[in-house]
Amino acid sequence: MTGSSYSLAPIWFTDVAGSALIIVLSFLAVWYAVRLAKAQPSNVIWIYLLWLCVALAVFGVSRGVGHIAKRFLLLMDMRDVWISLRSYSGAFNTLAFVVVASITLFFQRIHRINTAILKDKEALEQASQEVMHLNRNLETLVRHRTEELSLSEKKYRRIFEGSMDMIFILDEKGDFVDINRAGLDVLGFQNRDDFIGKVSLGGLFASGEEFDQLMSGLHANGFVRDRQCRLRKSEETEVFLLLSATSRRDASGKIVSYEGIAKDVTARLYMERQLQQAEKLASLGQISTGIAHEINNPLGVMLGYTQLLLRDHPSGSQIHDDLKTIEKHARNCKAVVEDLLKFSRSTQTRKSSIDINQCVGEVISLLEHQFELDKITVETRLSPNLPRVTADGEKLQQVFMNLLMNARQAISGKGRISVGTEGDPGTRAIRVVFSDDGCGIAAEHIDKIFDPFFSTKPVGEGTGLGLSVSYGIVQDHNGRIQVESRPGKGSTFTVVLPVEQDGESASRIEASQ
Amino acid sequence: MTPLKIGFFIVWAYLLLGPTVASAFQSHPGPEGLYAHQLAHIFFILAMAFLGYWLQVNGFTRERGWRLIQISCILLILWNIVAFTGHWLEERIPETVVSGEPDWTQRIAVNSAWTGLYYALKLDHLVSVPAMLFLLLGIRSLYRQAVTEGRRGDR
Repeated sequence: MTGSSYSLAPIWFTDVAGSALIIVLSFLAVWYAVRLAKAQPSNVIWIYLLWLCVALAVFGVSRGVGHIAKRFLLLMDMRDVWISLRSYSGAFNTLAFVVVASITLFFQRIHRINTAILKDKEALEQASQEVMHLNRNLETLVRHRTEELSLSEKKYRRIFEGSMDMIFILDEKGDFVDINRAGLDVLGFQNRDDFIGKVSLGGLFASGEEFDQLMSGLHANGFVRDRQCRLRKSEETEVFLLLSATSRRDASGKIVSYEGIAKDVTARLYMERQLQQAEKLASLGQISTGIAHEINNPLGVMLGYTQLLLRDHPSGSQIHDDLKTIEKHARNCKAVVEDLLKFSRSTQTRKSSIDINQCVGEVISLLEHQFELDKITVETRLSPNLPRVTADGEKLQQVFMNLLMNARQAISGKGRISVGTEGDPGTRAIRVVFSDDGCGIAAEHIDKIFDPFFSTKPVGEGTGLGLSVSYGIVQDHNGRIQVESRPGKGSTFTVVLPVEQDGESASRIEASQ
Repeated sequence: MTPLKIGFFIVWAYLLLGPTVASAFQSHPGPEGLYAHQLAHIFFILAMAFLGYWLQVNGFTRERGWRLIQISCILLILWNIVAFTGHWLEERIPETVVSGEPDWTQRIAVNSAWTGLYYALKLDHLVSVPAMLFLLLGIRSLYRQAVTEGRRGDR
């Protein structure tokens, strides 16, 4: 490159003027930063800007003063002084750079913390305002909430207490915590205090296995729906409930309570059973009638010819004895056929006005001696003011005798039979009740006891027609037979007979209660 | 004071005052000052670059004042580069290229590209003064905005 010489005057003047301007500008910046920080003292950004400006002002002063001093000291031929000052100026410049850079790099972290603090502050202020608002309105709020809760409690309590179905709450052990009035009535309890905390659902179940199945369903699924359950209402009676229930668990998953609703379906169930029984026995009756008529005529012919042959053979001869045996068995067959006809109600009935108590009394007196021999006590509770009924007395006596003989056979050894009569003004009927403390009827047999030829006795000891015939006779009188039995505890047969619909009978039924 | 503590103190005093030559001290010759200064320039560049980026990312530059400060950051980065290069070149240019009395009448013999660049870099105030000016304008703008907001808040 060709050597050429340039004046350093531009550099000289730029250096002096620039240094002076930087000092002035940096101090002005400091002044504005101070005012800004004072205007908004809580804003950390203005503090940072102030620090930045102060550091730059220090830099401006150290550098500017250094540059100006350099020019003038060199101009005044004081190079030695400048050399001693130069190091300080450079050192201050370096320090100012480091300070500016450091606070800038650390500032972002401070700003992040400051932002978080401001957010928390805002949240705290909002919370504080809410707390103050709540404080001011606490009493009113509590009153409103209490009123709402009270209304809600009343509403649900009305539903709970007014429900016609049983509603209950159990604790985690299955003990009753609460139950409504309908529930107490269904389960046969008068007083809630005798029930709550003292009775468990499991204890009311007639079958422990059934209760276990219910609980395992509740534990597995959290609910059971429309499950038919058999509960003991008292020592002698049972109720059938259609039960739906749910289990409630706490946060840890542990069961804390059970809530349920149950409908008493006992009456409906009995009615359905009776209907099924009636339909079944009606069909059997029709078959029996056909068979009986078909057998009756040949049997009559057989008996007639046997009797004719008996006349031709003197008694004591072998043929006479054989004919007697034929006659005996033919008569047995005829008796069975007649029983079948009675069951199917094909025989003639001679109805007249009779006194049921007298009818029952005659049967008991007939069997009394036999019961004494068997050490069976017969208790009677005959209502004295029963109205008379229009019925075939002989056939009803046959029914009562059948029932008493069955009761006797159900009792092995010492026992007790109770016979009672009562009027039922609701249905305008008379009820004759036969109870025993015998072996009872197994659950699987109870639906078959009125079937013709059904018997649990050994072969040859019974025809299995007694209860069938009784059923047919009572049906023929527009009445019905009900049976309740608990295996091992005994059975109760109830004959319900309608009363003639006149004023006198009605009043006597009322009086018999 | 227990005998153990007294013994420890004596050992410590001997170790501190006993040696005649302090070989652990490192001497700092002239160039160290320049290196420290140059490193400070680099540190300054990084800090300004970070500030400018941070203002952008956090949305501060939506306001005029912060935009001016961001421009100031860019100019300060540029000035640091100029100063850094100037210091580096100054060490490599012989003193003989400058002639005359040490006043505005001095002249420089530009006989290489480095010398020409050195001459240009010596005019660094042409960058640093605008940088400070933008910083001042930015802060002033922010101050006025804060005052206006304060007045609105008072109403």
